[in-house]
Amino acid sequence: MQIPTSLEPQRPAAGRSPADPAGLAVCARGLGKDYVHDWTRKVTRGLDGLDLDVCRGEVLGILGPNGAGKTTTLKILTGLLKPTRGQAWLMGEPVERTASRRNLGFLPEQPYFYDYLSGLEYLELAGRLSGLDHSTARPRAAHWLERVGLGDRPRLRLRKYSKGMLQRLGLAAALVHEPQLLILDEPMSGLDPFGRRDVRELILEQRARGVTVLFSSHILPDVEMLCDRVAIILGGRLARVAPLDALVADAGGVVEIRCASGHGFELPGECGPIERMERAGETVLRLADGAGVQRVLAALLRAGVPVRAVTPQRHGLEALFLREADAVDAHSTDGAARRSA
Amino acid sequence: MSAFVIAHNTFRETVRDRLMAGVLVAGAALLAVTQIATPLALGEGRRLTVDLGLSSISLLGLFVVVLVGTSLVAKELDRRTIYNLLSRPIARPAYLLGKWLGITAALLALALALGGALALLLAWRGWMVSAASLAQGVYLAGLELAVVAAVAVMFSALSTPVLSALYTLGLYAVGQWSDDLRAFAAHFPPALGRIVGALADVVPNLPLFNMRTLVADGRPTTALHLALATGYALTYVACVLALGAAAFERKDFK
Repeated sequence: MQIPTSLEPQRPAAGRSPADPAGLAVCARGLGKDYVHDWTRKVTRGLDGLDLDVCRGEVLGILGPNGAGKTTTLKILTGLLKPTRGQAWLMGEPVERTASRRNLGFLPEQPYFYDYLSGLEYLELAGRLSGLDHSTARPRAAHWLERVGLGDRPRLRLRKYSKGMLQRLGLAAALVHEPQLLILDEPMSGLDPFGRRDVRELILEQRARGVTVLFSSHILPDVEMLCDRVAIILGGRLARVAPLDALVADAGGVVEIRCASGHGFELPGECGPIERMERAGETVLRLADGAGVQRVLAALLRAGVPVRAVTPQRHGLEALFLREADAVDAHSTDGAARRSA
Repeated sequence: MSAFVIAHNTFRETVRDRLMAGVLVAGAALLAVTQIATPLALGEGRRLTVDLGLSSISLLGLFVVVLVGTSLVAKELDRRTIYNLLSRPIARPAYLLGKWLGITAALLALALALGGALALLLAWRGWMVSAASLAQGVYLAGLELAVVAAVAVMFSALSTPVLSALYTLGLYAVGQWSDDLRAFAAHFPPALGRIVGALADVVPNLPLFNMRTLVADGRPTTALHLALATGYALTYVACVLALGAAAFERKDFK
């Protein structure tokens, strides 16, 4: 039996069983948000009955197309939006209470800052507002400015920062008080490959420290690289939440068999659907799953066809995400649940 | 605690704004104008200088309130810098209080700077004015600005900068006439008189903070007047900020 350690997140039981919010980093029950237009009073449902548990020490990625409800979820959790229905807790504290944000670091999507401050001044301000005293805030600000690669010009005013520099500063501001829970809305947005790598390293470093990380992203390879579990939100509802490996395994995959071309052969009918194509002087057979591989190989060997490679190709998160989105589209009345990934 | 951190940052934002430097230059220019106009004042140069010097504190302070104060919160909403603040353990009323404290501190610094310049000018010209009286005049002008700043911060939390500026200017104008409004109310039919009287009670009683004539005469005011003005200002500010905080508490930051 595996004994959970502090750095290994315990996965919550599936379903809507009542959770103990105190034991979870994030707990949401029946969370809903309606937006009412100021003039027409037309109601738009932004979030609909979201149940979500995030264990302490876990990295959970939220996926969803634009307008699915990811940012709404994160804003409710951080106290920026009031939920229309349902309840949520951060580290056991209801999100309505100011105390729920004591251990929280938040990076909003496309963060904006006071451009009249320098990077050092801004981080010091962020630290003070998160409860650090004056004597701790200044060295901590200098440390995190250095850590995100902006330490060489601490007095540079933020109006002269590039977009990538601002994103790094935002991340440092979320981390300056060394919180136990990080909520990051599109943390890789607008970053070049080096910036994305640095952010990934920071998130992994925080995970190693035992920090819970909840983040939304459109960049699926980053999600695959970082997450313990993935939640897919579509049309304001939680469509799937599962460990990453289970999701990818569920997504299935094709098996590709490459063999020498120029050999005539017939495949037996019981092998299932097989896609056959000629590519770079080879015949490529693509099987929808691995069940028929043995029979196909036997048939090829009987026909004397030299087999050069058998390659299982698993579907990635992207394929799964698109499939889920298509499924929701098929059931939605307006067909607008999926926009762009 | 967090209110003071926000106040410090708001103070920094206001004094780093180029507008503040412009206002100080304008204040100095106004004092210079009084000296050009002195020969035309028929021996009332001292009165003219004191009157215009104290008026410049109120008017330039109002200018800062309208241009900075009325967009103080709205600008944060517009630029979304508020996300970085309110996602931290800060109660929304503390945020509004901090904003008011910060801009009030900047306005008091402005009142002190302009009041100091006026005192230096009077000393240079050898015009004797009671130092206590001048200090009281500057103090009351600062209190008046603190009250108007609270109104601006409240409107800024609930409305757009343009509308906030209009509401604040409107309330300032009506507040300057609140004594006259009360006097008019007695001449109206009873029902209308009660409405006008209530309006006069609701708007800030700004004449309470005006002692320009006393300072020009070189007479200090009473301790009771100072205590009443201070108590009134603090109560009015508390009520206005509480009203703003109650509405701000329910606000969504989309």
